[in-house]
Amino acid sequence: MRAPVIAFATAMAILSPPLVNAQAPDEPAATTESATDDPADERAAQFVGVTGAETERIPGGTLMLAAYAIVWILLFGYLFRMRMMQRQTADELRRLGAEIKAPGGS
Amino acid sequence: MPGLMLAFKPIMSRARQSGSSTVWALLLFSTLVLFGATLYAIFVLAPVEQQMGIAQKIFYFHVPSAYAMYIGFGTSAVGSLLYLIKRDAKWDAVGVAGAEVGFLFWLIVILTGPLWARKAWGVWWTWDPRLTTTLLAGMIFAAYLALRSMGEAGEVEKRFAAGLAIFGLIDLPLIHYSVQRWRGVHPTVITGKGGGLESEMYVALGLSFVAFTGLAILLLWARITVERQRARTAHLRFELMHQ
Repeated sequence: MRAPVIAFATAMAILSPPLVNAQAPDEPAATTESATDDPADERAAQFVGVTGAETERIPGGTLMLAAYAIVWILLFGYLFRMRMMQRQTADELRRLGAEIKAPGGS
Repeated sequence: MPGLMLAFKPIMSRARQSGSSTVWALLLFSTLVLFGATLYAIFVLAPVEQQMGIAQKIFYFHVPSAYAMYIGFGTSAVGSLLYLIKRDAKWDAVGVAGAEVGFLFWLIVILTGPLWARKAWGVWWTWDPRLTTTLLAGMIFAAYLALRSMGEAGEVEKRFAAGLAIFGLIDLPLIHYSVQRWRGVHPTVITGKGGGLESEMYVALGLSFVAFTGLAILLLWARITVERQRARTAHLRFELMHQ
């Protein structure tokens, strides 16, 4: 018998705050409605003038320059790496060739 | 030792080599001219986009880079598959070159994309299906390259890496169709329906696609040559050590 009572009391404790809150905004709601009779006025009032120099919040030009710089840097970096790899291999081939041709080599 | 001397014999005959040099020079020249024309089309012909502004111009290098990434990773998977079937070192070289070139273009895609997204979406990154599958492809081929960069790869490493490249190939159609099949925020301006771009924008993008194709082929060609040379050197070194 005690369990349903505890369950009921817990449910009331959980549910009661929203019920209290739901009743509370009745009075302020009327105040808000009277302040904004026309929704169009509300939207127009949202425009805010720029103070100081007019700049984009996210600079598109800088982002574009960064993107193109990344492309060229990566590309030339890779070409440089490949050139180094090619040079190393050519040097090693030459060294191995000399080793083979030397007396005592194969 | 005749075997060693034979190893020094160039792969291509002198005539074939000079023929290849001509094709190489022509391809290089055409690609350079195309890149010049592409840059002109991007910055002079194509208009600035209304909503995204000048940051939209990132798109003209970002999308063809993604396409070049497909070429690289696709080449790697095909080379790997042929290597597993034929066990010929030249296909292994194709696999390595494709993975590396594809990874270069993947880096371009994954770094330029967020720069555009910051302007268009207000965030650098979001877990959109296309972005996520692209990241996954990069991780698979990064694993391939990591495996191949650990000293001289033995037969087991080569085969395992080849398997990874084939596994990576499965992800490529997922990247491509993710924007159509799953909900996401990535734009789909290039569709079969058309109408996603202005005509000058199409010119710039088309030129860029051709230029990037030329670049991908040149890089693959050069990298395959270097990889085959490296394989020959490794073979020679091995023979010298065990003679």
